[in-house]
Amino acid sequence: MAPLLSLEHVSKNFGALKVIDDLSLSLDAGEALGILGPNGAGKTTLFNLIAGDLPVGAGAIRFAGEDVTGLPAYIRCRRGIGRTYQIPHPFGNMSVFENVLAGAAFGATRREAESYERCIDLLRLTNLLGKANLPAGKLTLLERKRLELARALATDPKMLLLDEIAGGLTDTECQLLIETIRAVHRSGVSIVWIEHVVHALIAVVGRLFVINFGQKLADGEPRAVMESPQVQEVYMGIEER
Amino acid sequence: MSSAASTPAFRIERSTRTSWIGLVLAIAIVVLLVSVPWWGGEDDLRLIVEICYTIALAQLWNLLAGYAGLVSVGQQAFVGLGGYALFGLTILAGVPPLPAIVLAGVIAALIAVPTALIVFRLRGAYFAIGTWVIAEVYSEVMGLIRDLGAGTGMSLPVAISRHVGETRFDREASLYYVGLVIGIGTVAVVFAWLRSRQGLALTAIRDSETAAGSVGINNDRTKYAVYLLAALVTGMIGALIYLEKLRISPDSAFDVIDWTADIIFIVVIGGIGSIEGPFLGALVFFALRYFLADYGAWYMILLGAVAVVIMLLAPRGLWGLVADRFDIHFFPVRRRVRLE
Ligand SMILES: Nc1ncnc2c1ncn2[C@@H]1O[C@H](COP(=O)(O)OP(=O)(O)OP(=O)(O)O)[C@@H](O)[C@H]1O
Ligand SMILES: [Mg+2]
Repeated sequence: MAPLLSLEHVSKNFGALKVIDDLSLSLDAGEALGILGPNGAGKTTLFNLIAGDLPVGAGAIRFAGEDVTGLPAYIRCRRGIGRTYQIPHPFGNMSVFENVLAGAAFGATRREAESYERCIDLLRLTNLLGKANLPAGKLTLLERKRLELARALATDPKMLLLDEIAGGLTDTECQLLIETIRAVHRSGVSIVWIEHVVHALIAVVGRLFVINFGQKLADGEPRAVMESPQVQEVYMGIEER
Repeated sequence: MSSAASTPAFRIERSTRTSWIGLVLAIAIVVLLVSVPWWGGEDDLRLIVEICYTIALAQLWNLLAGYAGLVSVGQQAFVGLGGYALFGLTILAGVPPLPAIVLAGVIAALIAVPTALIVFRLRGAYFAIGTWVIAEVYSEVMGLIRDLGAGTGMSLPVAISRHVGETRFDREASLYYVGLVIGIGTVAVVFAWLRSRQGLALTAIRDSETAAGSVGINNDRTKYAVYLLAALVTGMIGALIYLEKLRISPDSAFDVIDWTADIIFIVVIGGIGSIEGPFLGALVFFALRYFLADYGAWYMILLGAVAVVIMLLAPRGLWGLVADRFDIHFFPVRRRVRLE
């Protein structure tokens, strides 16, 4: 079977800076993939390319059997690519509920009234139901990250791109987040998760992909990848938090 | 996981206590306004029409700039095109004036289609300048049409204005009702738009264009729809204005001060990004003009000064101050969750 997502020799430059360098990657339907790499390695840029927030410099991106390289972000979302932002982008003057509703009403192209129940469920899942009527701009950083998750899930993604949502959590909160993402994964959503909190990542994903300077450094079973010499070398000093 | 459990009972509320007060107030005001021709003079009628179309223009500009991020300084293009369309349709094509008002709006919207193709390529300040330049181009083009008075303009033949009403007062009263319908209709359409699914998209775009795209919102199409709506109604307003003025010229019809700068002033001081703001801004604008109109240049300087002070002290305008303090919404566009 063809993979759900595949990147074929994708590159991206910002001026003279080569941020993604001839990168190829594929993800099967139902997989949970972790992405690891030092700061500035190009992880967020990779998501921006997959989700269509940035055009690729070279290469092609295929999703669910279709070449999406030239499609705008909103169409990729409707095709089933959901994402969260590392730096949350809430709709600050809209209520928390309406933020999620926007995802359900446009990304999932349901009728508005039919989305309400789904939105309430997602707010409960992300523990934001008590703040449903608050303007999203008034949320704390951690709440904003959970809102990113709820809003992305509201679009009914086939594949969910998570960009560093575990940072700054207490152990209990982190455990809850792991449970939540596992539940999403079990419901049939493929996951690509960028995370520096390695133990959280490994608790969820079945495969790790390590990026350094925009290139693939390693790809495979999490333990084996973490123990490989090239990853050890890059990750000296970045121990599991 | 909790997702397996059943959804808690909830309701989605779309009105507030103040919105019911607002509705009663609005009905009272509309009844009052409808009765004005029975007891008011021509000057009253003219002033109210002016207030109506000014508020309508302000609502449209607010939709463009306050929501869609389209900071246009070229809306005079559509006032002018609407005015000229009215003159062309009535004088050259023999269309009766009142249907011509609607057609003028349609023509303005049709011209907005290619206009948008050009200006939508520009971003930020370039968009603003682009819209202004295009308005100037349309002004020059209208000045070339000899049958419509070329650069010096022309008057509407008396025979045509007779269509609107036999006596002068009849005409004023007819145009008064047209103005009222356009004013109230615009507010109603803007309100309905913002409450709808389109409004959800528009508010999302206002808050973050990037995130809007990532949740499946077609930013370009949403903005395009707003731009065309604004052109349609602005064209009708232009037609009304020049049917009332009875005289048109490129300089007046495409005047950036009258049809755009004053409107921006109203929206900015009243509060951008809300329906209530433009009302409040218009109130301040007409009050300042009433008290200071005799002071000529000082009036303009004071207007500018007021705008600057309010922008510095209250970036979300006077309505922003009110809304923050009292949490009142006469035009509720929100959806509130009530758990039961
Ligand atoms: N829009 C942009 N314009 C110019 N340079 C950019 C842009 N976005 C990212 N960069 C640069 O590209 C490089 C990769 O950035 P990216 O955000 O993808 O890294 P990352 O792997 O997500 O890092 P982190 O772990 O810190 O989030 C960095 O050097 C960054 O400064
Ligand atoms: Mg990043």
